[in-house]
Amino acid sequence: MRMLMATILAMAVTTASMAADPFYAVSEKVNQKLVKLFGAGGFRGVSNYGTGIVISPDGHILTSASQMLDSAEIVVHLSDGRKLKATVLVTEPELDAAILKLRVEGKKIDEPTGLELEHFSFADELKRPRAQPGDWVLGFSNSFEIAMRDEAMTVQRGVVAAYTKMHGRRGIFDFPYTGDVYIVDAITNNPGAGGGALTDRKGNLLGVIGKEIRNTQSETWMNYAIPIGAEVDVKDGDKTVKIGLAKFVELGILGKYKPVKRPDIVIGIGGYHGIVFVPNVLDRTPPYVDDVFPNSPAAKAGLKVDDLVSFIDGEPIYSINGFRDFMKRTKSGSKIRLEVRRGDNLQSIDIELGEYPAKPMAPKKP
Amino acid sequence: MRDSLRVWLACFVPTALAIVVVAWPTNATAVDADVLKAENERIAVVNKVKPAVVAVCSYGGQAVGSGVVIDPEGYALTNYHVTESISPVMQAGLADGILYDAVLVGQDKVGDVALIKLLPKKAGTPFPFVPLGDSDKVRVSDWSLAMGNPFGLANDFNPTVTYGLISGVNRYQPPEGGGMLEYTDCIQIETSINPGNSGGPLFNMKAELIGINGRGSFDKRGRVNSGVGYAISINQIKNFLGHFYSGIDTDHATLGATIETENEDGALNQMKFGTILDEADVFRRGIKPGDKIISFAGRPLTSTNQYKNILGIFPSEWRMPLSYRRDNTRKNVLVRLMGLKDAPVDASAQPKPPPPERPDPAKERAKKSPAVKLFKEKKGFANYYFNDLRQKQLWDGFTKHGDFTGFPGNWAISGSFDANERRGPLTLIVGEAADGTPEAKLTMNVEFVYHPLDGANGPAQLQVPDNSGGLLAALYQYRRLLAMGPTQKAFELGVSHGGTEPIYPPHLDGRPVEDWSKQRVDCEVLRTKHASIECKWFFSQTDRKLLACEAYVLREEDPCELFFSDYKTVEGRQLPHRVDVRFGDKNYGRLNFASFNMKK
Repeated sequence: MRMLMATILAMAVTTASMAADPFYAVSEKVNQKLVKLFGAGGFRGVSNYGTGIVISPDGHILTSASQMLDSAEIVVHLSDGRKLKATVLVTEPELDAAILKLRVEGKKIDEPTGLELEHFSFADELKRPRAQPGDWVLGFSNSFEIAMRDEAMTVQRGVVAAYTKMHGRRGIFDFPYTGDVYIVDAITNNPGAGGGALTDRKGNLLGVIGKEIRNTQSETWMNYAIPIGAEVDVKDGDKTVKIGLAKFVELGILGKYKPVKRPDIVIGIGGYHGIVFVPNVLDRTPPYVDDVFPNSPAAKAGLKVDDLVSFIDGEPIYSINGFRDFMKRTKSGSKIRLEVRRGDNLQSIDIELGEYPAKPMAPKKP
Repeated sequence: MRDSLRVWLACFVPTALAIVVVAWPTNATAVDADVLKAENERIAVVNKVKPAVVAVCSYGGQAVGSGVVIDPEGYALTNYHVTESISPVMQAGLADGILYDAVLVGQDKVGDVALIKLLPKKAGTPFPFVPLGDSDKVRVSDWSLAMGNPFGLANDFNPTVTYGLISGVNRYQPPEGGGMLEYTDCIQIETSINPGNSGGPLFNMKAELIGINGRGSFDKRGRVNSGVGYAISINQIKNFLGHFYSGIDTDHATLGATIETENEDGALNQMKFGTILDEADVFRRGIKPGDKIISFAGRPLTSTNQYKNILGIFPSEWRMPLSYRRDNTRKNVLVRLMGLKDAPVDASAQPKPPPPERPDPAKERAKKSPAVKLFKEKKGFANYYFNDLRQKQLWDGFTKHGDFTGFPGNWAISGSFDANERRGPLTLIVGEAADGTPEAKLTMNVEFVYHPLDGANGPAQLQVPDNSGGLLAALYQYRRLLAMGPTQKAFELGVSHGGTEPIYPPHLDGRPVEDWSKQRVDCEVLRTKHASIECKWFFSQTDRKLLACEAYVLREEDPCELFFSDYKTVEGRQLPHRVDVRFGDKNYGRLNFASFNMKK
């Protein structure tokens, strides 16, 4: 019996040598084209590190448009251990992408750096057909900030589970990208993985690993990448335009990309509605209306005590906290549509938010 | 059932391949031959290693983790954090469905490794085991197999297998909780590991053990696989393995100095020494703050992570080569690592009282196990029973070359010496003076006398001759060990097996050593203490000949090192005819023994 097993093993080993390490050379090659990024954050679950893809020999870096970039200076560790600084050239939240450029001492930001880095040529990578569900992929990133300096990126492997649209739910952190994504079966999107590379098994670039997004309905984290050929239709002022990652990279490197003008979303106190909810004792206290200020926008629209707010503008609302998060993005004059449960029925109620009164009126006593 | 499946597989492989090759051109849906081969390779590897995978359980109770058997006697590796709560007597299930009694042997709290021993159901029955691989050869993107008992799933102990890539090598993960469970130079895997996989094996595709799975990065995703797991490299474990087999509660090490990044904001990293403790070996080697480190233990140092990685894989007291640069001169020295446990602690900090013992039904049941006989408690040891056992085995091996316990009288040796350009005849008498007090007398042109009990004349008296570090004291201990054996009577302050440790014999022709790593010889160590002098005796791992001795005559100072060679038979017993003496960074000299006269 043991003899037989030994024969199988010997056979397997001789033939498997080519199949056993198909990724070693690939990962070494890809690793040279990736950088570790360190920027703002480091508190409340927001990581202050990330990953970037080198897209020009001169030191242009493509990464996710994350909070980490909200820093005067981004520190970059190259794959050979060199430590340089970088400046954010342009950000396009609609593509969840940003382009950085490495700075070399004594050179201005628009001058060539003379770095001659290993890089992904975006134009060449785009010529390949996109990957299909079932195709093998490799994920490269500095998830969990495991690597520093010349230490290599984390490598993971999996298959494309789907090529589909993903709508990031509106929450405290905006995720405006609405285009196609590669969904993968490996756990690629850990903290700091955003901006990493999703490649095919030969190390050709397929997409940019996205930042962490959690599905609040299933409490699961999404594992996805934005394809290099990503295109989305966005509203630019009054008209709808098509923008894409390829154009973003092409023009961004030249310093000519103009980000889409987005309506300013200011997180503030929001518009005035006049709803008083039941005491908010739990994380997920349901938004039951406890009272409505007389003559407030909510009162004028006909909201009643004991109504349960279920949707705002078509988006499900589960808690008083969720309602408040949403309201932070509104302002006086905004129109919102509530779906409320009253008794056994759902009612639509349109409210035009107003200015907060100088002194809030005391709610009437029942 | 399982056997018949294997037979079927064995027959299937060659025929299947043939069919595929023939069928390829006509049948587009046939599976690629390479895919089948790879599949069969995986199956073969899994079947080969599976019998050695262990489910570690509390005694008569729950599955708590995994492990793997590494030799036919049933010694198995697991995590310290697995055995911690169930030690010393536990149970271990193998894939054959049988639950064996097991006992803790050795442990490494910092490195999170424990060695346990399974007791065969019938004495002498060998266990299935796996060979140790070389984790330095593991490459990023190699395939790996993790096996074990996640979530305590397997009631029949048949291990769960997961398959995935090596995501990273030489990773550093800082300690978790009180300086323990520090993963240095570890292997990062995407191969799925979950609670219960702890202590289980990580295999390469050659069916060799390359690591012990034990940790993961979880962050906000909960304590289940997040695609980022870590295994302790088998090469780190190999460094500690000798200690484990000897039942030692091992200690990790420090250099006794801080290491700083010279130019944190500079393009490239340069590591240099910061503050250095007076009692650290680097201080004695003459290293000063600001000296730049080039390499440590043969590896270049480019980051703090790498420094911690290198330091973390060695037990305390091991000596490692270190290269540093000062004013454009490169220097290569051997540095002895300081223990962490011995590091100065805050004296005001009171040790915490042990938590009140709660009745643990598993531990009550364990009292009836035959494994209880294989456990002996002693401070500094995980299980002194195995230390005792290894001392006996070592001494039995040594005395095969010659037993000197029949010669408790004076030993007189004559020959010649060659020390610091001085040469001449030599006579040595070790034993007792005319008045019955212990004495060692060495004549090398001048006469040196050493009285072990005579501490009153100050430290210098103990280190005779000058600059030898205590050659006479060391020779006195040497005769004592040989004539009396490693007994409590001879070494009243203690005898123990010291596990494994490397020595670095100097060149026999006296030329300076350029590359210390080439001199390294790993030895089995015996530790003795008599008359406040601690000695380490280094024995060959192959034939247990005595190769070297370190005698720590004065604490906080370098030991006197003796290297024994040129063994010849004297009256049927092997004796060294050459002893090279070293102290600190210098060769003291060489003693050539020509004739021995040992009194009964």
